[in-house]
Amino acid sequence: MAQYTQTLTLLKANLKRDWLKITIWLAALVGVFVAVAAKFEGIYGTSKQIAAIGSTLRSKAMVALIGSVPDGQLTTALIFASEMAVFWGLFIIIFNYSLAVSASCGQEESGLTEMVLGGHPVGRLAPLLAAALELLIANGLFALITGIGTMIADMPGSDTNGTWLSAVAIAAVGWAFGMIALIFAQLVADSHNVSMYNYAFLGIAYLIRMMADVSKPDYTWISPLGWLEKTEIYANNNWWPVLMLLALGILAFAAAVALNSNRDIDAGVIHVNPGSEKSHFLRGPATLLVWNQKSLTIFWIVGMAILGASYGSVFNSISKIFNTSPTIQKVLGQSGIRHIEQTQVLSFVGLLGIIFSLLAVIAGVMIVNHLITEERRGYLQMVMTKPQSRPYLLGVYVAFGLILAALLLFVALISAMAAGNVVMTHPIAFKYFWQTFVANLPSIALFMALMVGLIGVYPRLRTLVWAYLGLSFLITYFGNLMDLPKWTLKISPFYWTKKVPIDAINTTPLIWMLVIAAILIMVGFVGYKNRDLES
Amino acid sequence: MENQLILDVQGLKKSFGKVQALTDVNLQLHRGEVLGFIGPNGAGKSTTIRVILGLIKESGGSATVFGEDAWKDSVKIHKNLAYVPGDVYLWPNLTGGQTIDMLLHMSGQTHTAKTDELIKEFKLDTSKKNRTYSKGNRQKIALIAAFSTDVDLYIFDEPTSGLDPLNELIFQQRVAELKDHGKSVLLSSHILSEVEKMCDTIAIIREGKVIETGSLESMQHLTRNVVAITTASPMDGLDKAKGVHQLNFKNDQHTIAEFTVDSDEIGAVMDLLTKSSIVQLKTTPPTLEDLFLRYYHSDAGQKVGE
Repeated sequence: MAQYTQTLTLLKANLKRDWLKITIWLAALVGVFVAVAAKFEGIYGTSKQIAAIGSTLRSKAMVALIGSVPDGQLTTALIFASEMAVFWGLFIIIFNYSLAVSASCGQEESGLTEMVLGGHPVGRLAPLLAAALELLIANGLFALITGIGTMIADMPGSDTNGTWLSAVAIAAVGWAFGMIALIFAQLVADSHNVSMYNYAFLGIAYLIRMMADVSKPDYTWISPLGWLEKTEIYANNNWWPVLMLLALGILAFAAAVALNSNRDIDAGVIHVNPGSEKSHFLRGPATLLVWNQKSLTIFWIVGMAILGASYGSVFNSISKIFNTSPTIQKVLGQSGIRHIEQTQVLSFVGLLGIIFSLLAVIAGVMIVNHLITEERRGYLQMVMTKPQSRPYLLGVYVAFGLILAALLLFVALISAMAAGNVVMTHPIAFKYFWQTFVANLPSIALFMALMVGLIGVYPRLRTLVWAYLGLSFLITYFGNLMDLPKWTLKISPFYWTKKVPIDAINTTPLIWMLVIAAILIMVGFVGYKNRDLES
Repeated sequence: MENQLILDVQGLKKSFGKVQALTDVNLQLHRGEVLGFIGPNGAGKSTTIRVILGLIKESGGSATVFGEDAWKDSVKIHKNLAYVPGDVYLWPNLTGGQTIDMLLHMSGQTHTAKTDELIKEFKLDTSKKNRTYSKGNRQKIALIAAFSTDVDLYIFDEPTSGLDPLNELIFQQRVAELKDHGKSVLLSSHILSEVEKMCDTIAIIREGKVIETGSLESMQHLTRNVVAITTASPMDGLDKAKGVHQLNFKNDQHTIAEFTVDSDEIGAVMDLLTKSSIVQLKTTPPTLEDLFLRYYHSDAGQKVGE
């Protein structure tokens, strides 16, 4: 037990440091969840509304995106649970990743762990246990508040058991993935790589459940993320997956402890190999950025290609129309049916365009954000005292970020097209994917430009970019489901292009977005040239 | 040529929000000169250097390097300057060797035989990743890159804080070599023996203000020699002699004593002591350490010699 001495003191310190972050995340996660629950009866209260959304949710496209819907008669609560479970699981996992990384290797990198372990009577495993407990508290709070909130929302078709199951299951999946993040934190030493492994793991878990859901739902059990669906909230209220998630979390923590005991501080279990003693390639900020980002870039490109192909491979199930009675077939005729099928796929392509853009923005913004990370970590003091101007330095990062984001969107769409056209009898023309690509570029530019502007003028506020991105995505996702007023929809850049490729591109709003983006980028460059380097 | 001004800092001020980090900094560095810039932690050494490097913008006064404005013309200035920060942070995924080459390339230089010589001399394993290096080894990387860069001005900000004595010696030799080649060096430090050995001129900074500039000799009149003495007969009247401080007799006969004496009174005191027949005498010249302690132990605003 001596190994865990002072865990509680560390836990208190962690909570003191992270309380604002935890509060904001919980407020957003719980707030939106409960708000949606409370408003749901108004939107999906009548049987007609339920039937309409039911067929949408049961379409393969939606199943691929957000998971399966139980068979039989649907209720408001059932629709809510199917729509939210996997989606909220993803959000809470992102939250847990962020907490776990900063409480483990983030802390180690800052030298805090070394000071605490080396100079104070603190057990060697105490920081790890403190991190696990911090996550447990955060997720426990989520489950508690969400449970109470959803009880108060009292949707038709809900029951106490199911309400608490949904709250606890989402919290459990977050905690379990957080514990797995602690394993990765032992394997490699820096938080950058740990995050990369974390999201790769989450990506694989998501892809497995997507593929399994649309083809063979039994295989969904392979993915821990899929266990969320297997709780069958409000249908059968199955608590087994929750126990499995908790067991997975405990096992993962045990594995992290075992690995931690076998490694040195500031070093991962995976040994860092010696490298080349010379470099002719590294010549300046541009080559340095390419060198530093090469593995992450490849990771993104491959990941987006796989994601695109996975979505593409379900195009044929998406195109199937439900009501295929002979009369209707006769009325529509062959070409009519094909037209409806194509429209369905195209609307899915439009939705994919937004999802891919969201991911592309994350990748691109992370590249630009790296400039600030390097500034804060003190790397830039070596670069900025060389004969390279600041605008050039910023320009390199912005260009790399924009090109990467555009490339990722393109790769994902093209892979979706390639995979889709293999499985479909009537291929979708390239021009539709190209339109989707072009239509989403201004949105990508706008988010990136906001980041550039903040980096130049007020880098501390750059989390605003993530908040705006999250808000835009939520508005686009929930906007129609929630009957939000029209002006709120317009806040999201994605709103202006969501009808593409079914409709033609409306150029006016896109030009405005590009103009705003250009102004923000200019502001960023001027600000960056004229501000102090942080140390 | 000899008097060409490389670096000229006049009445430099810098504030961060409400905090005044620098209130009045004046520095001059001439060609072929080594300027020691000393002061305690937090006095403003690094802030001054960061202004000189154009990393942060001055709030008042001016800083010019090679006659150009440190902020506006930083790119031009940096072509002819090498810098080693006090805390060296390097990209974790690069090896030491790659980092050195990259830093050289960024300055428009190449990996030369001198680079290899320096790597060998500092005993650096350049195949390791930066994340595995200790503070001292990261410092070596920056030093190797700087010393094998051929420029006119070298700025070192507490460069040896992570080095062992052997490497410190190599550093001192290399700085002497730069000086021999007519290069100018700005060296900030709180390791006083280091500054004492290497620098022609010394500037002392305290609470954001340079309070004394000059050669070490010119400052020694401000301080005191330590004297240890044994005489045949008692040293009468020594306790009343002008310029004698911290007198401590080691025996009751008053024939063995230790004291400090103001440098400008030493002649008169020696005359007095000769009357007691000196048996053994040891005087230690003032170290920068003494000088330093006197400055920083005195109250704010009170200058030595006043």
